[in-house]
Amino acid sequence: MRIRIDHIAKIEGHASFTADIVKGDIKSARIKIEEGARLFEGIMRDRKDIEIPELGSRICGVCPVVHTFAGFKALESAYGVKVEEPALSLRKLMMLGQLINSHALHLFFFSLADFFGLENDLELINKYPEKTKDAIKIRDVGNSIVETIGGRTIHPLTPCIGGLRQAPDADKLKKLLDDCKNILPTVIKLGELFAQLQYPDFTRKTTFVSLTHPDEYAIYDGKITIDKKIMEIKDFLGQIKEFQAEDKVAKRTHIKNKEEHSYMVGALARLNNNRDELNPEAKNLLEKSKIKFPNYNPFYNILAQAIEIIHCFEESIKILDKLNNQTIKVSEANIKNKTGEGIGAIEAPRGTLFYSVKIKDGIVTSVNIITPTAQNLANLEDDLEELEKIQGFKNLNLKEKQNKIKMLIRAYDPCVTCSVH
Amino acid sequence: MEKSTKKPVIAILSLTCCEGCQVSIFDLGERFLEFLTRVDIGDFRLFEGIPDVPKYDIAIVEGTPITKGNIKRLKDVREKSKILVAIGACACMGGVQEIKDYRGDKHKLIRQIYPNIRGIDNPNIKAVKEVVKVDLEIPGCPINKEEFFRLINKLLDTGKIPEIPQKPVCDECVRRNKNCLILLGKPCLGAISLAGCGAPCPRSGFLCDGCRGPRQGINLEAMKKALRIKARLTDDDIRMLLERFGKLNEILKA
Repeated sequence: MRIRIDHIAKIEGHASFTADIVKGDIKSARIKIEEGARLFEGIMRDRKDIEIPELGSRICGVCPVVHTFAGFKALESAYGVKVEEPALSLRKLMMLGQLINSHALHLFFFSLADFFGLENDLELINKYPEKTKDAIKIRDVGNSIVETIGGRTIHPLTPCIGGLRQAPDADKLKKLLDDCKNILPTVIKLGELFAQLQYPDFTRKTTFVSLTHPDEYAIYDGKITIDKKIMEIKDFLGQIKEFQAEDKVAKRTHIKNKEEHSYMVGALARLNNNRDELNPEAKNLLEKSKIKFPNYNPFYNILAQAIEIIHCFEESIKILDKLNNQTIKVSEANIKNKTGEGIGAIEAPRGTLFYSVKIKDGIVTSVNIITPTAQNLANLEDDLEELEKIQGFKNLNLKEKQNKIKMLIRAYDPCVTCSVH
Repeated sequence: MEKSTKKPVIAILSLTCCEGCQVSIFDLGERFLEFLTRVDIGDFRLFEGIPDVPKYDIAIVEGTPITKGNIKRLKDVREKSKILVAIGACACMGGVQEIKDYRGDKHKLIRQIYPNIRGIDNPNIKAVKEVVKVDLEIPGCPINKEEFFRLINKLLDTGKIPEIPQKPVCDECVRRNKNCLILLGKPCLGAISLAGCGAPCPRSGFLCDGCRGPRQGINLEAMKKALRIKARLTDDDIRMLLERFGKLNEILKA
């Protein structure tokens, strides 16, 4: 039997799904990307270095902040520029705002209806009006963090090589601190809702990849952790293979170890690798949820995001507390030699994002962008091929089977727009 | 559009793009929720499972029609809609991806990026109005959600297509009287670009690079001269600035 889902809704971008079911076994599970190629890596070439972050942010309107910073970090690594405080903290805050806003969208508006068996979000909104308002308020605070510092929520404006072009208004930062403190109980309440949901019982062993930082839950910076091993980003990129099947606009990636295999990035990978660095309330919810680690159930990526939102608000409060006791000055770096090669890696909402750039006299000679979804696609397809192991899967009717498949795809929070770039 | 007591049916359609304009609409937050109570949603893929209806009163379209699927869907939606509104730089002008057409080497580029190019569409980038009739364009990269909300409400309330005043971005710029980027010796396209965004870029120390396209009646030569003399840009720099959002075609018309 052939399973087709023509239009997977409630994900970023357009994709469809096909697989064969042979004697109850799911075979050849394939996500087909239905987006046109925009050739971002090509259009950046021969243009000025500073256009990399500006054009890169247009890869994705859901996570433009991470594309902006991955681009700037790659340029800063190429030029040997270090971002100093307080610009570093302000950039970290923008990243926290980005994760909050993206996770809140995915958790409440993309994932939740699946658990309640609702057909669409209009039903969800009608049935849970108060919860909907809470989710919207949480997103609003995430957005205002990005807007206050970045000048705009989508395609931010203030970041520049070496830091930020302009310091945020001190009164607005004070208000942000109040907003974060006031919303935290609501965020924890929403997190508890996700801890109480019934997640499908499904596991498939895989490899988890994320950044890891010695002093904090890595989002803005770090080295790579692959399972338990820590390595330099450059070495990791040497170990992965980007490949493209014919007819596919989105490339996929594998790790080439002793054998070649898929791997997972994103919130669940980060929790597997870095959960000891979570802030107290986030840790508290993780303990209450009683999920075991290492955790190989991809459906828990949803809960992992709920835990991360709590962490992000706690972290924002910490940083804002610190910033509110000082005068904030930021500046642009003055670079003499604009030639070099660099890599920028950052934890996007959906996992580690890599920009590798080569620059000659300020002009881009090459860019390679590896997005989280491009990395997750192979792992997701491998998971889908074992989905029949969910108890009772074989007895489900076609529509129920399709719903389970859609639920797993959505648990990964794929960003198709990002995967084609 | 005729006024009636029935709720108007709205569809929000996304073609190839970053989807940032759709996110901007969603970023209206509680106002978007309130908006949902005043209309019926005919299609909004982010919310799924909404039964398709035969006619839309207003279709809101973001992105560029690149793939065959994009073009077919766009034509279908046009057929079903009384009013079609294109939003964002991609839908109105082509967007940043149109740079690939200006380069003249897109077939080489696609080969460098994809080893197997069979089945991957690489047509010239088109704005929505080059494929179907457009009744209203709300430009920007991304759109200004406040302007969008105001214009859509006006459209719903009056049934008439609202107009965006043909003013330059400078009219909305906080640097208008002092600290004008051009006068500081930095590039800025505010003088030839269509206002309505609220000028967030110059407010953040970033140049206006014209994501809303040109206003009518511009003096392109004067702009180029200012960029050359004040901001010390080369002709190549100016070309790259003018093509950034796919607006070169628009500028030549304006």
